[in-house]
Amino acid sequence: MNVKFNNRDPVYIQVIQYFKEQIAKGIFEPGQEIPSRRELANRLKINPNTAQRAYKEMEEQGLIYTEGNLPSRITKDEQVLKMVREELILEAVSTFIHSVRSINVPLEEVLNLVEKEYEKE
Amino acid sequence: MIEVKDVTKKFGRKTVLKGVNFTAEKGKITCLIGINGVGKTTVMKAIMNLTPIDGGEILINGEKIHKGSYEKITFIPDTITMLPQMKIKEAFTFMADFYDSWNQKRAEELLEFFRLKETDRISELSKGNTAKVNLILGLALDVDYVLMDEPFSGIDIFSREQIAEVFTSHLIEDRGVIITTHEINDIEHLIDKAVLLDNGVVLKEFDTEEMRENEGKSVIDVMREVYRG
Repeated sequence: MNVKFNNRDPVYIQVIQYFKEQIAKGIFEPGQEIPSRRELANRLKINPNTAQRAYKEMEEQGLIYTEGNLPSRITKDEQVLKMVREELILEAVSTFIHSVRSINVPLEEVLNLVEKEYEKE
Repeated sequence: MIEVKDVTKKFGRKTVLKGVNFTAEKGKITCLIGINGVGKTTVMKAIMNLTPIDGGEILINGEKIHKGSYEKITFIPDTITMLPQMKIKEAFTFMADFYDSWNQKRAEELLEFFRLKETDRISELSKGNTAKVNLILGLALDVDYVLMDEPFSGIDIFSREQIAEVFTSHLIEDRGVIITTHEINDIEHLIDKAVLLDNGVVLKEFDTEEMRENEGKSVIDVMREVYRG
């Protein structure tokens, strides 16, 4: 885990974002065990209270779950996993739209370019 | 909770603390920030009663600080107080003889964490490693609050990183930590609370995550506003 945090967004939100990205990429698999809050704090070099806060929020959002005293795990809920993926895609697309809009490129030109460049990568 | 209430301190004619107010909670890392000479160390020494205060009061868990309170708090100065010719092992024995709250097991865990050896002699350690030993001597005490004066000052980047890692590890447990620093860069994400000190007064006290969440400001942004106006 190597995350570069920015200084102006709450760290717990950046941690959640990181988890969502890892889930969407399939690096964190459904049902996979996740580190304890201390381990997470240690690995990401963040405050343990912040790690705790991130876990609490993720638990509430259904991204992770905990059974009894066992370590927490990534959700297996298909619906939630699908939503995470869609949310990230939508986010990326709106950032993209925002930047092409600011230079006044017509949609058609953008779409053509997207298609061409997408194949290249 | 440690409560510093309206604390004043004079050295001769000079008023160093002009009514300092802030709180530090257990389980949280509170950071006293300010350039050198604004009174950070004096605040810590006042809490430890190493320097008598002229006004105000200091409470721990709601009680006025007294002799017995010092079984619950420890102060780690910015330089090691052990004799340089001592081996780490001997420094540990010295601490064990001196303090009932000495926890040998934790001392050994910390030593391992920092990859140091009991047989190392203090005079032969690098600056960074000396700072680590200094920290171990304080952190190995079973106390509720640890006060650290400039734990990151004047040492190499990797030692700084390693020391920062202690704060995120289980070795800190749920103790309350107060640290002073004039350099926030490395530890911005580590602290719960920032207390900005200048010229003997607290200019601002805030929860760092709340500040980022509610105002979108980093600790340095706030410092810039407060110190540069």
